[in-house]
Amino acid sequence: MQNELKLNFDKIISLNNFSDSQKKIKQENFNNYFEKGLPNKRNEDWKFSDINQIISKNFDNLNFIVDQNKIFEEKDFPLEFEHNKISFVDGKLYDFDFKHEAKDKILVDQNLDLDDTVYQNTLLNLNSAFLTSVSKITIKKGYNVKKPLILFNYLSDGLKSSAINSRVDINLEDDSSLCVVNFLNENSEKNFINFRQKIKIGENSILKNYSLDSNTSENIKYFNKDINLSKNSHLEYFILSEGSKFIKQDINCNLDDEYGSIALNGIINLENEKHHEIKTVINHKKENCKSYQLIKSVLNDKSKGIYQGKIFVSPEAQKTDGYQLSRALLLNESVEFNAKPELEIYADDVKCSHGSTSGNIDENSIFYLMSRGLSYSESKKLLTNGFLNEVIEKISNEDVKKLVKKLSGINV
Amino acid sequence: MLSIENLKAKIDEKEILKGLNLDIKPGEVHAIMGPNGSGKSTLSNILSGKKGYEINGKVTFDGENLLELETEERAHKGIFLAFQYPMEIPGVNTNTFLKTSINAIKKARGEKELDAIEFLKLIKEKSAELKFDEKILNRQLNVGFSGGEKKKNEILQMSILNPKLSILDETDSGLDIDALRIVSEGVNSLRNKNNSFLIITHYQRLLDYIKPDFVHVLKNGQIIKSGDFELAKELEKVGYEDFN
Repeated sequence: MQNELKLNFDKIISLNNFSDSQKKIKQENFNNYFEKGLPNKRNEDWKFSDINQIISKNFDNLNFIVDQNKIFEEKDFPLEFEHNKISFVDGKLYDFDFKHEAKDKILVDQNLDLDDTVYQNTLLNLNSAFLTSVSKITIKKGYNVKKPLILFNYLSDGLKSSAINSRVDINLEDDSSLCVVNFLNENSEKNFINFRQKIKIGENSILKNYSLDSNTSENIKYFNKDINLSKNSHLEYFILSEGSKFIKQDINCNLDDEYGSIALNGIINLENEKHHEIKTVINHKKENCKSYQLIKSVLNDKSKGIYQGKIFVSPEAQKTDGYQLSRALLLNESVEFNAKPELEIYADDVKCSHGSTSGNIDENSIFYLMSRGLSYSESKKLLTNGFLNEVIEKISNEDVKKLVKKLSGINV
Repeated sequence: MLSIENLKAKIDEKEILKGLNLDIKPGEVHAIMGPNGSGKSTLSNILSGKKGYEINGKVTFDGENLLELETEERAHKGIFLAFQYPMEIPGVNTNTFLKTSINAIKKARGEKELDAIEFLKLIKEKSAELKFDEKILNRQLNVGFSGGEKKKNEILQMSILNPKLSILDETDSGLDIDALRIVSEGVNSLRNKNNSFLIITHYQRLLDYIKPDFVHVLKNGQIIKSGDFELAKELEKVGYEDFN
């Protein structure tokens, strides 16, 4: 695969009109990847999800050049609420519609401002090397976006064995707010999806971000997200992880200034041989910030779920309030769940806790429900749905909450 | 309606019921009284189909071999157990659960399932009868309910499902006098010539309100004496220890 990859990279460089500095960053990132290859389980961050092995097991060859000129017809995705949208096809910006909003308050733009960084994470090297554009969304100072923004990611029909690299940056200027839903509408065959988002939340601003992986697909996905929170800003983050064959979501949040707060919740709901990981790092960098995380997992068949959550408290971050809880229901003996909670604390006046439980479904509860006329499988379904519903109920946007209930079939 | 012949039950090699006989006809209210560990809860668990017991003997319900039926099939046929310790089911709305339950039973019986409006009407009517605060039905099932609320919720379920045979497993334990009266009124309002009750209790107090037709004393896995309401009064005086 290596030679082919090099040819692909040279082709990307020759086909696009990149500036010299962009070429340089791309080349350096590519070289780092070329030297080290994909992360594997010897890397602590990838201990439970050896992406190197997963990729080589699923693909004989990966094509890194996606035809940009494919004709694409946007399929209607029925949503029962008013929304704004931006659509992406194979990772590239395709169209946007902000009919519910004031015109000059939202900017959508494309360029190739790559960070001048050679990443340690070789998946980010790949992402930087093969990107042909970065999509940027800016919410202007003081503007509260009225309707949820849906980021529809489409994969073009018939796309297969391709590596899709995409990057979207979102910038909420001070005193603004936005609710954004990430949604992948895929009917392609097996591909490798490497999506990166960089988000900045300005002072006194609020971002609600819902990342929904609900469509059953054979795709192998890696989502990497960096979120920076300014003074007195708030992030509500929710993950629905149930559709893909493999997905790892790497979420890094930085509480860069005082009084920032984060509520990060998620559910992993798996069957068959699906393998999903959520990995979070919350960096408390300044005083008086709060972070709250709740991840619940239900594993069936031969599935595998992982939650690695780290709370880092720097010496300056006094009065930190950090909380993290993982609960998993293991429905049979062939499933695997790994939880790795970590607290790394360098300040002395903090309140931090974490917990992790995993267990079977409670047979006494099953008996209770069956004694009310429900069959064994109905009782089990009601219990697991109730278990997961507790997390869904934390979604503060009612439209999105309804959507999540509909997509997941959890309505109790 | 219910006939139990020489019922024996073991759990983990320990014999709990040692040949129990009981016959309940339609419209009758039976009370079983007995000390801790006499096998009262085992009896109610076995009648409603809890797994884990090694059972011998014969139990028929409306002529059918009850022991061959699954837990939910017993519910479909009209057996209801009000739990001593109702389970808390997080994340499940009480109303959603009640609707799922009644419709599961209706479906199994080949009856038309209730739609949202019919269901709400039924809930309103029954909650009012039992002086049950409807607001509680929008909360998660039994989660954060007080002991009394949990027991009242059991009686509400019983009254909605309108079972042929209701088994009340120490429903009176932990109830204050007002809750006790409401629970008893719930039972009394369901009493008719077709519905039967098996009331399991330690104390006479609940029976003062319900007035059972028969009282049985369960001791050491067997019914050692049966009689009418007077027997309960006698027990209260003598105590289980000296009762023979």
